[in-house]
Amino acid sequence: MQALSPSKLLSRFGAAFMAIALDVGGMAVLLYQILRCLVPPRLDGMETWRNLYKVGVKSAPIVVVTAMLTGAIMVIQSGALVAQFDAFGLLGWGAAFATLREVGPIMIGLMFSGRVGANNTAELGTMKVTDQIDALRALAIDPITYLLVPRFIAIVLMMFLLTIVGDLTALVGGAYTGQVLLGVSPSLFASSVIEYITLEDLFNGLFKAFTFGIAIAVVSSHYGMTTSGGAVGVGRSVNNSVVASAVLIFVLDYFITSILH
Amino acid sequence: MIRIAEVYKYRGHECVINGVNLVIPQGTQVGLIGPGGAGKSLLMKICAGLVRPDSGSVLIDGTEVVGIGDVEMTSVRSKIGMLFQNYALFDFMTVEENIGFPLRQLGGRTEEEIRDEVNRLLLAVDLPNTQKLFPNELSGGMKKRVTFARAVIANPPILFYDDPTAGLDPVTSGKIFALLEERRARGGTTSIVVSHDILGMRDICDSFVLMDHGRIVFSGTREQIEASTRPFVGQFWRGEADD
Repeated sequence: MQALSPSKLLSRFGAAFMAIALDVGGMAVLLYQILRCLVPPRLDGMETWRNLYKVGVKSAPIVVVTAMLTGAIMVIQSGALVAQFDAFGLLGWGAAFATLREVGPIMIGLMFSGRVGANNTAELGTMKVTDQIDALRALAIDPITYLLVPRFIAIVLMMFLLTIVGDLTALVGGAYTGQVLLGVSPSLFASSVIEYITLEDLFNGLFKAFTFGIAIAVVSSHYGMTTSGGAVGVGRSVNNSVVASAVLIFVLDYFITSILH
Repeated sequence: MIRIAEVYKYRGHECVINGVNLVIPQGTQVGLIGPGGAGKSLLMKICAGLVRPDSGSVLIDGTEVVGIGDVEMTSVRSKIGMLFQNYALFDFMTVEENIGFPLRQLGGRTEEEIRDEVNRLLLAVDLPNTQKLFPNELSGGMKKRVTFARAVIANPPILFYDDPTAGLDPVTSGKIFALLEERRARGGTTSIVVSHDILGMRDICDSFVLMDHGRIVFSGTREQIEASTRPFVGQFWRGEADD
């Protein structure tokens, strides 16, 4: 392989920087345009219900299964330590603390970016390359009001609500596994959660879920609306959307944890 | 009336629309013809306000569409109907929902009135009993007729047809051109038809504009284009290959 000259290396670095700056700028403008449509609310009711159903109801089963297993894994991981120190009364606290503050929002966020975000990008991207977005504009309909605002509301709201569902399911999974593996009764598990877990722990995780929802909605919509180049372009956009959402989830998590800790 | 003055559009360093000037009088149907890549569809999208030119002016019924805000543009677009080359039907809607969509968005009509209008148009385009089908269940010709119905349902005074017969068999193309002719015969609609099907377009347009490499190289009636002594014009009109 031929080594790149410094000028070419600099040029590639510059091009990559410009591409990232363009994406970040595009996402910021898109977020502003969406928020502008929300005050006062201008959105299509039917399209909003359709998206709430598609994003929320259809994602619920996979969220429940994943969250339940996550709760169970938390207990399995901490089980040996709990048994060693005979700290069965702290099992519920340990599982709930990690799940509510970190693992729950992150797991559900990543799953949302893979399932809902990818689907959103693919749908919008296909609409873009098949002129459906232009058709909306030609019919005097603003694609942001008609397409993006309902998706934004559905993703943010459902990410928030499904995180609550996921948190509860994870605790159920954890309690069940604690009983089966360690013989910790569900009542002891529950009392440990109630005694040690504060509302702050819950709200910390829910705030993260809310911001992850905004990130997934904006990133997936941005890549969908800037798709070009037919089927290959749609594939590329979906890939970019999932990667960027996942990275953004961890970056946001880092900053939120640093600030709120 | 549509008035295009000194419109330029660049893609990178390439000039894809090169100083186009064109006036389309009220109530006329103009055929926009030319080889592939001449800039016909792009010029049409510029007229519809879907693509912003780098310079120049486009007046739609006296309103400048270049550089205007979203609200003003929405008002201009409400006068426009457009048939897209690759259908652009909404995948997630049925035929009935696709066709009735412009009326639903305009408001002021009951669901029953919209349904009646959709059914009337479906009969007119010879697609009865397709209301509940989705676009992926239709053939290319059926999709074109559905997109035609969607373009005309709100009776817009301006219509743009982007290659309405692309990829269709001669019989289906004939049906589409008959619909366009029927629309023109009613009068009052200003329209542009982009097509490579010169034979089909000959009898349905009041005048023709021939484009090549982003420029208008000829503009006139059928008689004028047939009488033209310019080799490129005659060659394209008659569909003759280079020697």
